[in-house]
Amino acid sequence: MDLIFSRLTMTGASAMLLVALAMMWRRHVPAYISAFRLQSAALAFVGAVVAWFGDVPELFLVAALILALKGWIVPRILTRMEARRPDARALQPLVNTEMSLLISGALAVAAYELSRPVAEVVNLPTRGGLPLALALIMVSLFVVVSRRQAIAQIVGFLMLENGIALLALLGAYGVPLVVELGVFLDVLLGVLVMQALVPRMESTVAR
Amino acid sequence: MTIPDTLLLIFGALAAGAIAALVAPSGAWARRVSLASAFLACAAALALGIQAVQSGAVWIWHSDAVLSPLGGITLRLDPLGAFFLVIVAVAGLPASLYGVGYLRHLDARPRGRAVHALMNAFLAGMYAVPLADNVAMFLFAWEVMALASYLLVVSDPEDETAAAAGVWYAVMTHGGFLALLAAFLLLAPDQRLEFDAMRATAGGLSPAATMAVVLLSVAAFGSKAGLVPLHVWLPRAHPAAPSHVSALMSAAMVKLGVYGVVRLLFDIMPPLPLGWGALLLGLGVLTALTGVLYSVAETHLKRILAYSTIENVGFIFVALGFALLMRGYGHGALAAMGLMVALLHTLNHAVFKTLLFLAAGAVVHATHASSLEALGGLIKRMPHTAVLCLVGILALAAVPPFNGFTSEWLTFQLLIAGARYTAPSLAIMLPLALAAVALVAGLAALSAVRLFGIGFLALPRTEGAREAREAPLSMRAAMALPAAACVALGLMPTVALTRLAAVTSDLGLPMGQLDTGTSLVLPLVGSRLAPLAIAALLGGAGLGAAFISRGRRTRVRIDSAWNCGRIIQSPRTEYTAAAFAEPLKRVFTGFYRPMHEVTVDVHPASPYFVRAMTLRADVVPWMEQALYGPVVRGARLATDLVSRIHTGSIHWYLTLLPIALFALLLLARWIR
Amino acid sequence: MAALLLAAAELVLLMALAPGVVGYTRWVKARLQGRRGAGVLQPYRELRKTFGKSMVIADSASWIFHLAPWVVTASTVAAAALVPVVSVHQPADQLGDLFALMALLILGTVFLALGGLDPGTAFGGMGSSREMTVAALTEPTLAIAVLALALTSGSTSLGAIAGTVLANPANAIGPGHALAFAAFLIAMLAETGRLPIDNPATHLELTMIHEAMILEYSGPYLALLEWAAATKLTLLLVLAANMFAPWGIATAIEPGAVARSVGVILAKLLVLATLLAVLETRVAKLRLFRVPELLAVSFTLALLAATSSFFSR
Repeated sequence: MDLIFSRLTMTGASAMLLVALAMMWRRHVPAYISAFRLQSAALAFVGAVVAWFGDVPELFLVAALILALKGWIVPRILTRMEARRPDARALQPLVNTEMSLLISGALAVAAYELSRPVAEVVNLPTRGGLPLALALIMVSLFVVVSRRQAIAQIVGFLMLENGIALLALLGAYGVPLVVELGVFLDVLLGVLVMQALVPRMESTVAR
Repeated sequence: MTIPDTLLLIFGALAAGAIAALVAPSGAWARRVSLASAFLACAAALALGIQAVQSGAVWIWHSDAVLSPLGGITLRLDPLGAFFLVIVAVAGLPASLYGVGYLRHLDARPRGRAVHALMNAFLAGMYAVPLADNVAMFLFAWEVMALASYLLVVSDPEDETAAAAGVWYAVMTHGGFLALLAAFLLLAPDQRLEFDAMRATAGGLSPAATMAVVLLSVAAFGSKAGLVPLHVWLPRAHPAAPSHVSALMSAAMVKLGVYGVVRLLFDIMPPLPLGWGALLLGLGVLTALTGVLYSVAETHLKRILAYSTIENVGFIFVALGFALLMRGYGHGALAAMGLMVALLHTLNHAVFKTLLFLAAGAVVHATHASSLEALGGLIKRMPHTAVLCLVGILALAAVPPFNGFTSEWLTFQLLIAGARYTAPSLAIMLPLALAAVALVAGLAALSAVRLFGIGFLALPRTEGAREAREAPLSMRAAMALPAAACVALGLMPTVALTRLAAVTSDLGLPMGQLDTGTSLVLPLVGSRLAPLAIAALLGGAGLGAAFISRGRRTRVRIDSAWNCGRIIQSPRTEYTAAAFAEPLKRVFTGFYRPMHEVTVDVHPASPYFVRAMTLRADVVPWMEQALYGPVVRGARLATDLVSRIHTGSIHWYLTLLPIALFALLLLARWIR
Repeated sequence: MAALLLAAAELVLLMALAPGVVGYTRWVKARLQGRRGAGVLQPYRELRKTFGKSMVIADSASWIFHLAPWVVTASTVAAAALVPVVSVHQPADQLGDLFALMALLILGTVFLALGGLDPGTAFGGMGSSREMTVAALTEPTLAIAVLALALTSGSTSLGAIAGTVLANPANAIGPGHALAFAAFLIAMLAETGRLPIDNPATHLELTMIHEAMILEYSGPYLALLEWAAATKLTLLLVLAANMFAPWGIATAIEPGAVARSVGVILAKLLVLATLLAVLETRVAKLRLFRVPELLAVSFTLALLAATSSFFSR
C-alpha cells in the first residue's frame, strides 16, 4: 500500500517537474500557460492521492480548489493578458534553450543531493518526492530569473508557488486548510494585480 | 638474456645509432644504420617489457659511479615501468622503420644526420624514464627526452611555425621541470633522493606538503601529457616535428606524463583524500572535451591528430582520476579496475595514434599539403595507405571490433560500476562524467569520419592531391605494424588486460583472478563483451549482405554521380572540412566563439552579381588568450624592465655583480 | 542449443518484420492524413523490386562506396542479434550489452557517412555531416539512459535488464524508469531519422539527413540500406518495448511461452508504431539548428532518470 502511495506521489511530482522542464523548450506564451495548467492538474492529482492514502479528507477540498483556481481561472486570466499583449512574438529568454535545459538539469541534480539529509529525516511514504519538489522550486526560480518578458516571469512565479505547495503536501501532508485558503486568495489577488500592472511594466522596462 | 644485458643492448644500440648517424660516410648510410639500431633497440625493449610485465618480478640496480655528485643512479624495472617500456617500443618500432623511407629526402642535407641522432637520443631518454628509480636519474632522463624532442620540433628551418612552436614547448617543458624538481624536493625532506626512501616517508608528509606535491606533480606531468589548461604547446609542437617523431611524441612521450602521475600518486604517495581524485577526474573530462572539440574544428591534418591526442589523454585521466578517487575511498577493486582501464587505453591510444601520425606523414609526404581542404581522393592514389589509415580511423572512432572500442566500453563500465558501488554523494558526479565521455566518443567518431572522408574520399581538391603517389614500402610496412596491433588488441583485449592485472597488483591494488578467455569478463561488471564473436557475427552478416547484393547477376553501370540531377561535378562543389564541422560549430557556439568574415566583391552594375566571395571562419582560442595572455604580457613587461638595466656601461655591470651577491647572502640569511 | 536456435529465429523474425513495421507506420500516417495509403506489404514489394534492379555507381566513388552498404547491414544485423525479442534467456548476453549495441549502431553510422562522402557530391557531404552531428549529440543521452537502467538492474546486458524489470514491477512505475523511457524515445527518433529530426518521407529537401547520404545508391545496395534502416527502427522499437515494459516476454524456452511471447511482441510493435505514426502526423519537422535543443531535453530527462534511480536505490 505504502509502495503504491509513494510511487503515485513520485509519478505526480515528476510529471510536474517534467512539465516545468518541457516549458524551457517552448517559445510561445500559450505553451507556457498550458504547461502551467497541466502542472496544476498534476498538483491536484498529488493532493488527491495524499488525501486518499494519507487519510486527510480535507485535502480533497484543497485538490478541487487547486484544479479550479490554478487549473482553470488563473490560466484564463493569463490567456487574456496574453491576448492583450501588443507584441506577441516568440519569447527571447536571456539564456538559450540548450543552456536553460542543462542548467535546469544541473539544478535538479543539485536539489536531489541537497535534499538528501531532509529526505532521510522524514519518514513519510511520500519522502521520495521531496527532492522533486525542491527541484521544481529551483527550476521555477530559474525561469523567473532567465525570462525577459513579464508574463513568462509570472508563469515562473506561479510554478514556484506550485512547487512550494507540492513540498508542503509531500513533506507534511499539506498545511492547515485556513492557511491553504489564504494562500489561494493571495495567488489570485497577485495574478489580478499583475494583470493590471504587466502592460505598464512591459512598456516601461521594454528594451 | 638477463635484464642488464638487454638494457645494455638497448642503450648501446641507441648510442651506436646516434654516433653512426654523425660519422657515417654518407647521408643514406647514416639514415639506414641509425634507424636500424633504433629498430633493434625498440625490439629488444618490447621483448624485455613484455617479459618483465609477465614475470611481475622487480629488478633493482644501483651505481655510485655515474652522476655521483647527485648520489649516483638507481635503475628499477617493475611491471609498471616495464609496461611503459612496451608503450615506447610500440611507437618506436614502427617509427624507426618508417623513417627509412620517410627521411630519404634529408640524405643530402646535414640536418638529416642531426634528426637521426636526435631520434636515437630521444628514444634513449624515453626508455630511461620508466627505469629511473631516483631523482637524479629520473630528471636526467626526463631532460634528455625533453631536449631531444625540442630540437626535433625545431629541426626544420624552413618551417616558420616551428620556431614559435619551439618557444611554447620550451617554456612549458621547463616550467614543468621546475615544478617536478620542487615536488621531488618536498617529497625528500632529508635529501635522500631515492624513490624507495620516498615511498617510506611520503605517508608522513603534512597535509599542506601533500597538497603541494600533488599539485606540482600534476602540473609537471600534466603539462607533458597535455592536460588542459597546460596543453597549449602540444597542438603546436607535435605537428611541427617530422611525422615519425610526431608519432613518438603523441604516442609515447605524452604517455610518460601519465607514467609520472601513476608512479607518483599511486606508487610513491599513500591513498589521497577524495578531492584529488575528483580533481583529476574533472580535469580529465575537461581535457577530453576541449581536445575533441578543437580536433573537430581544425583543418590541419597533424593538428587534428594532436588535438585528438589531448582528447585521449583526457580519457586516460578520467580513468586515472577514477582510480585515485576509489583508492582514497578505500574501494581497492574499483581502483584497480580504473588503473587497468587507464593503462589499457594508454596502450590502445599509443597504437592507433602511431598509425595515424604515420599515415598523416605519408599523406603530407605524397601531397606536400597538410590541410584537409587541399586533399581528397587519396584512396585511389594511395590505396594501401588508405586501408591502413582506415583501420586507425575506426579505432579512433571507437567502433567494434577495433581497440578504441574496447577501452571506451571499459570506461563506460567503470563509471557505471563506480556509480553502483559507492555512496550517492560520491556517485552523483559519475553520470556526468559518463555523459561527457559518451559525448567525446561521439564527437571523436565525427572527427574520424571527417578526417578520412574529406582527406581520402571524393575528388582531389588540389594538384598535389591529384598527383599523389603511394608511400614507399618501408613506410607502408611501418604502418602495417600498428594497424595489425589495432585489430589484434581489438579482437583479443584479454591478452593485454590479464597482463595489466600484474601491474596493478604490484602497485598494491590486486585485481583478483581475471578471465583469460576471449570475452571480457570483469569482477563488479555485470555484463560481458566478446569482441571476437562480434567480429565473427559482423563478418558473417557482411558476407551475407555482399552475397545478396552482388551474388546474383546484377548489372553495374559506372556513370557520373547523380546528385539530384546536377550536371557538373567538380572539387569546388564538394563538401569541405570546414563545412563538415559547421553544424557542430553552431551547436557549440559558446565554446568556439567562431569568427565569421565574409568579403563579397560585387560587379559595379548590380550588387546581385557577385564576382568573388571569401569567407574566413576561425575559432577564437579564448581559453588560451584568457589564461596565457596575461602571462605573456607580464613576461614582456618584466623583460622591458630588465632591459632598462642594460645601460652599456661596463662599470655598472661590474657593480651589479656584488649587489647580486649581497642580495643572495641576505636572502640565505633570511631563509635560515 | 535450443537457446541458440531461438536466438537465430528471433534475429530472422526481427529482420523479416522490419519492412512490415515501416509499411504499417506509413499506412497509419496515410490514414491519419486522410489518404488511403499503400498497403502494409508495400515495403516488401519495393525491396524485391530494388534488389532486382541494376546499379549505377558514380565514377568518382571508390571501394568504400561498395563496402558501406555491407558494413551498414552487417552492423545492424549484429545489433539486432543482441536484442531480446521473444525470450529473456539470451545467448547474446554473452556477446555484448547495450553499449556494444550502441557502438555497433555507430559503426553503421560511420560507414553510412563515409559512403555518403565517397562520391564527392555536395548532398552526400551535407547528409554525412548532419548525421554524424546528430549521432554524436545523441550519445550522451543514450549512455545515461543505459546508466539509469543499469543502476537498478546491476548490469548493462539486455536480458538482465529485462529480467530485473520483470522481477520488480514496482520499479517500473517509478520516475526513473519513465524518464529514462522518454529520453530513450527522443534519442531513438534522432537515431532513426524520424520526425521531428529528419523526415523519412522526403527526397530533395535541403534539410534531409538520411536520404541525402544514400542519394547515390541504387539497386541492391539501396535495397540493403533501406532494409538496414527499417531493421534499425524495428530493433530500437523492440528494445524500447522489452527494456521498459518487458511483460509478456518468455522467461522459459518452451513452445507455448514462446508462441505467446511472439504474439505479445507483435502487439507491442503495433502500439509503438501507431504511436510513432501519430507523433509524426502531429509534429512538424524542426529546424536543423533546433535539433540540439530537443536532444538537450532528452539529455536532461536521462540525467534526472539516473539521479532519481540513485536515490530510490
